[in-house]
Amino acid sequence: MAIVYDDNGLPTGRKLDGGNVKVLIIDDSQFIIKHLSQIFMSRDFEIIGTADNGKAGVELFKQVHGQTDIVTLDITMPEMDGLEALKQIKLIDQNVAVIMVTAIGTAEAVKEAIKLGAKGYIVKPLDREKVIERIGQILK
Amino acid sequence: MRIEYINPFVEASFDILNEVLQTTVKRGQLYLKKLGESMKGVAVVVGVIGNLKGRIVFDLSEETAIKIASKLNGEEFKTFDEMARSTISEIANMITGRSVTKLEKDKLNFSFTPPTLITGENLNIYEYADMEALIIPIDTGLGIIEINMAFKE
Repeated sequence: MAIVYDDNGLPTGRKLDGGNVKVLIIDDSQFIIKHLSQIFMSRDFEIIGTADNGKAGVELFKQVHGQTDIVTLDITMPEMDGLEALKQIKLIDQNVAVIMVTAIGTAEAVKEAIKLGAKGYIVKPLDREKVIERIGQILK
Repeated sequence: MRIEYINPFVEASFDILNEVLQTTVKRGQLYLKKLGESMKGVAVVVGVIGNLKGRIVFDLSEETAIKIASKLNGEEFKTFDEMARSTISEIANMITGRSVTKLEKDKLNFSFTPPTLITGENLNIYEYADMEALIIPIDTGLGIIEINMAFKE
């Protein structure tokens, strides 16, 4: 997926071949879902859906995977954690860009997620400017 | 309770509260408190697991919790509703997450359970009271959060 970057080198939510980049957010915190949605929407990304645990997230991804460009995944969640959800999402669609959004910035957790196919990670708290910059780096 | 166990958590609390609240966060005098004494009204409980056993409670009043949630969401909450609860739980989650990162660097072998938020007047957590809790009061500029730590090796 190639996206349009603005004059400052920051990512927009538009694809080079037209249309908006569609994002699925999976996080057990309503607060994080709200803030992440606001950050993405401020750059014209489209939120295709949200889920508050890994299991519900995988089920939702099965419905929308053909249209989803990015999945953001928390690591510590009830029902199914983010690393297991990542494995299952990659089995459904190898090409979707998965970004881990987590409070735990340990080398071990990050290494495991990258090994399982995550494209990158963002450590909470979510600062709007830093998150946009980081998404740009991850998607380049 | 050894200071090297406490420091990663205190540092993480300061870092996260400063980053998210952007107020002048100050630390008060440490003191000891018997287990079983009433909490302020909102308690976020985090279990300590690994080589250490115990728990950490973020203890704050509902008024302070509402003020903090209002600031972080950029909107005024009148009640401690679901979004406000989610906001306070997430702050605790970020603090424990940052602590885990620091603990890994310091090679200390313990970790934390995900936070559980409980509320109520004269809130009291029943605990096997063979130890005292160390209290670290933090003035957030929006009210006091007491970090109430009790664990043993």
